[in-house]
Amino acid sequence: MKRVFVHPIVLLILVLFSTSIALGQAQTRIRVIQASNIGHNIDPSLRDVYRELGSLFSFTSYRLLRDETLDLILNQPVTISAHPGRSMEVSLIGLRRDIAKLRIRVVREERDILNTEVRLLPGRTVLIGGPRHGEGVIIYAVSAHF
Amino acid sequence: MQDLCSQVLKLLEKYFDQEATDKEKLLVEGHLQVCPACLDVLRSMEELRTLIKVPVEAAAREEDFPWVWQKIEREIRSQRKPTWLQSLRSRLDVSPLFKKKIWIPAVATLAVLLMITAQLIFKETPSYPGLSDVEYVESEDYNVMVYQSENQKVTVIWLFEGTEKGASPS
Repeated sequence: MKRVFVHPIVLLILVLFSTSIALGQAQTRIRVIQASNIGHNIDPSLRDVYRELGSLFSFTSYRLLRDETLDLILNQPVTISAHPGRSMEVSLIGLRRDIAKLRIRVVREERDILNTEVRLLPGRTVLIGGPRHGEGVIIYAVSAHF
Repeated sequence: MQDLCSQVLKLLEKYFDQEATDKEKLLVEGHLQVCPACLDVLRSMEELRTLIKVPVEAAAREEDFPWVWQKIEREIRSQRKPTWLQSLRSRLDVSPLFKKKIWIPAVATLAVLLMITAQLIFKETPSYPGLSDVEYVESEDYNVMVYQSENQKVTVIWLFEGTEKGASPS
């Protein structure tokens, strides 16, 4: 009789465990790109977003400065160094089956350059750009997989 | 002799049908050897049997017995066929399940499957498919522009430095 109960209970625990993980985690990729009009260099690792970048912006050069993949856990902020003098804090604040909700803060000298909340569908990218960097600007490409 | 003939004639049919006892057989066979009249009676019996046997066998050959059997089977089935109520009862009868103890793992498995599929069944669809992916945005130092491209599946948040345009999208 005991055996009859043990298997379903173990299975139930495993399912609950895996479901909680699946519901509480999202892999988020953050790429820091320097866009400029100096030269015509497209970083090979940006090929997947180049079409979007090329259709939206008139820059001729895109250089990947940083590529981070973060395993975000619900309500646990992760901070990365965005580019000199700036840091980016990313928090997963909501996760449903098809939407990850992220809070993104870009901070410079303890001031919020940007504080935003975005919803990301799997495979969709949010580009955050504008801050000057050298001869060009910085663009953050944020996408999530869950 | 007459008495013996009448006695044998009485036994002749029994003998012909091979139902006579050994004693009767001996009596009949002994008499038939010496009495042509009784022998004629026996032969006429044999002829009559042949006359009957031939057409009966021919008719039996012509008869489609498999078809007859099918007909019989159909008849048996129609007699045995339960009513719709009986068949419904038998289908809904779960008492064998309670006799065996299989319902415990069955219920547990069902619960697990339900939990797994619940996510799919109650899948939340985005309630704001046409709205911006940006729920909220603010900046202490920059002016902010939000641009969303539906076709390219890209959302852009652009920061303009102060009153001067630092850099701008095309």
